[in-house]
Amino acid sequence: MASVSVRIAGAHGDGVESSGALLIKVAARTGMHVFAYRGYGSIIRGGHCWYQVRLGSSELKSYGEGIDILIALNQESISNQKSRLRDNAVVIYDPSKIKVEELDGKGYRLVPIPLLDIAIAASGDPIMRNTVALGAVLKLIGINIEAFREVIKGQFGRKGDVVVEQNMKAVSGGYDHQGVQTLYSIEGDGKKRYALDGNTALSIGAYAAGCKFYAAYPMTPASTILHWFASHEDKGVMPKQVEDELAAINMAIGASSAGVRAMCGTSGGGFSLMVEGLGLAAMIETPLVVVESQRSGPSTGVTTKTEQGDILFAMHASQGEFPRIVVAPRSVKESFKVAAEAFNLSDRYQVPVIIMMDLYLSEHVETVEVLGVDGVSVDRGKLVTENKEEGRFKRYLVTEDGVSPRSVPGHKGMEFVAGSDEHNELGDLVTDMYAGLDWAIEVRKQMHSKRMRKIDTMLKNETVFVPEIFNETADHFLVTFGSTTEAAMEAVGILNSQGMNFGLVSFSYLMPLDKEKTRKMLEGKKLINVEGNYTGQLAQVIRMNTGIDITQSILKYDGEAFTGELIAKEVVTLVK
Amino acid sequence: MAEVSTAAKQVLTSGVKPIWCPGCGDYSVQAGIMKALTDLGIERENVLIVSGIGCSSSMPHPFSTFGVHSLHGRLLPVAAGAKLANDELTVIGAGGDGDGYGIGVGHLVHNARRNVDITYVVMNNEIYGLTTGQTSPTSLFGAKTKSTPFGSIENPENPIGIALAAGATYVARAFSGDPMHMAQMIKMGIQHKGFSIIDVFSPCVTFNHTNTYDWFRQRVYKLEQAGHDATSISAAMAKSLETEATNWEKIPIGLFYRVEKPTYSALDMTLQKGPLVKQPFPTKQQVMDILEEYK
Repeated sequence: MASVSVRIAGAHGDGVESSGALLIKVAARTGMHVFAYRGYGSIIRGGHCWYQVRLGSSELKSYGEGIDILIALNQESISNQKSRLRDNAVVIYDPSKIKVEELDGKGYRLVPIPLLDIAIAASGDPIMRNTVALGAVLKLIGINIEAFREVIKGQFGRKGDVVVEQNMKAVSGGYDHQGVQTLYSIEGDGKKRYALDGNTALSIGAYAAGCKFYAAYPMTPASTILHWFASHEDKGVMPKQVEDELAAINMAIGASSAGVRAMCGTSGGGFSLMVEGLGLAAMIETPLVVVESQRSGPSTGVTTKTEQGDILFAMHASQGEFPRIVVAPRSVKESFKVAAEAFNLSDRYQVPVIIMMDLYLSEHVETVEVLGVDGVSVDRGKLVTENKEEGRFKRYLVTEDGVSPRSVPGHKGMEFVAGSDEHNELGDLVTDMYAGLDWAIEVRKQMHSKRMRKIDTMLKNETVFVPEIFNETADHFLVTFGSTTEAAMEAVGILNSQGMNFGLVSFSYLMPLDKEKTRKMLEGKKLINVEGNYTGQLAQVIRMNTGIDITQSILKYDGEAFTGELIAKEVVTLVK
Repeated sequence: MAEVSTAAKQVLTSGVKPIWCPGCGDYSVQAGIMKALTDLGIERENVLIVSGIGCSSSMPHPFSTFGVHSLHGRLLPVAAGAKLANDELTVIGAGGDGDGYGIGVGHLVHNARRNVDITYVVMNNEIYGLTTGQTSPTSLFGAKTKSTPFGSIENPENPIGIALAAGATYVARAFSGDPMHMAQMIKMGIQHKGFSIIDVFSPCVTFNHTNTYDWFRQRVYKLEQAGHDATSISAAMAKSLETEATNWEKIPIGLFYRVEKPTYSALDMTLQKGPLVKQPFPTKQQVMDILEEYK
């Protein structure tokens, strides 16, 4: 077996999340590949939640369809999860609390363990029953118990050996429980990989790029970026929780206009409030990175579930026309790279960069061997500290490439006013008392086309604004963007192993797009767009840019994430 | 107008004309800010004037300092963001009553309680001028405007009271008809370490025919000459309520309240190492060290 999916299920407050995190860490330490995702509700105690941790001996591209090992911490976990159990799935449960009659006769391997009794005996703490169950999982997949000790020591070391020993007693209770034996052989290669989620990778990418200011109002699933900056304040960053998203974006603009690399982040609802600020950044040509982690909409929507429904919104948000970059990272690793790149692009072209995450990408955990820190470089574009011309500094100098020299306060002779009104090269307004005068009409034309020219410059200078194609000679291609890409890649593998010949075209950067190259790549191919929304927003973007109409699609808007298996199944019914 | 020497004026003047009508109270505010900056000898490259939208938003343009003419109601977050990014700057917010007490009032409350070290000058004319005369959050009850032709049935806001309740550490009020006093209030505000607000009665000569220069002249009196204790928050709060209590017959101007409290920057962990904009980018090793947490 190439991989095993372990699902821990229970109520909020049962320690499901921390148990999942612990399993991820232990498995990653042994050199296993991990892909994990969690399902939860907007509730602190009660309800139902789960954490699925998929472990493999080679790279994984989704959290896996179906459950191989279920840890059921309450009765609801049996009834809620039974439809996802694979044939021969193992179900670990405490027989004193949970009845499993509904699973009878299905061929599941039932493993009753007195989790609570063992936990109490080991530590006196009932929450430790999760650790007992984890012990059984370690045995089932053949992870040495010492790997667990190492992780626990790292986590609780400072609290003293007592806690470590309590944990070891609990985990051994499950590991050594009679009837528990190794059923799966997942081999770790001993390499210690990073295990992190998309928001963490993005935060570290931003940090590496020198982002020093992050402003946000808490909103799932973007809040963990704020938490990251807050918990790394001692590393020279300033996290700022503010009164609303209007403040978040405008504070970031203020910080950026003073010369600091700044970012703000939110989900769709908060992004709706940021829209006016986005236009301000564009108009005063102040660099800005905005993170929008999408969740099920519209309005409050499904607060803890994923969707890719906001890309057209992000591409067109705010009045008037202005250049912007919209990018949807396709994996945890790419979240790091995109964030680090975003600050250079934003500085180089003085345009807002919107990073489109989604709940799935923000929150799922992947193991990554190399994140790409060596590839991070800093380019601040035309940031200048000295005025080489006579007279006042021309902050909005009309240039061929559309990008003007930029100054920040503190430098003599570089003063200017950044105006949200249309302005001339000096930054002086050409609206109000001058509106309609012939020269003012001419300035407006010049300045608007100067800004818009930056799109051509970006397309000319950068290589990122085209999709990537895999298996170019395939008969059919899945077409994806952002976080759906990995699952689609997994689907391609499954389909091709069944004798089909599939390829993949995937978009990371969505705006601007190199129309010609994109058209050439897609032209004449059999395409199926796979997206996490109802209307096929990527297909619309493709049609708008290339005229190519994709007629077959797999669209998902139930709040759950794609897996390779799921896509492959849908594809088979489509192409039959 | 407040008196500024010609030489100093030239240094701080860009030559750009503001959009104000002849006689507008905002000219005095411009002169007041200029006098305060000149008196304090602050170099123009270290000054950032941030405005929002409305007549008041013209303020940065006649200055040769740095400026941001931002969005309606959003000048405070822009100003606060810039101040946190570079604590060495003198950051002045210049807004109006619609901008700061209407659409952007939330930011007033929160930046006051944060005690960000910026000076916020509000040109309060009790009317929306640039949109041609609608009611404002500070328009008097019964005010007849384009949007309230039969008289406003809303009560005017008490910005001084709001600022005090929110925790502003310097709260003052001035009147464009007394420019020397106003310049003094602004100057003290800039000198004050923390969030300063100066609410300035700045008459709109075009759309507000009630709250005119004369109307104010007959009503304002100086707190400094009335034995007010500006170290007492309760005395300040009581004074802020006096206008309404006297049905706008007695309007105190001057310093309501001033208290020394640590500024946001003084308390912020990161800023202990100097202005954010001057702090180095992380080295590759520092990034790798952080990544170790995730192994």
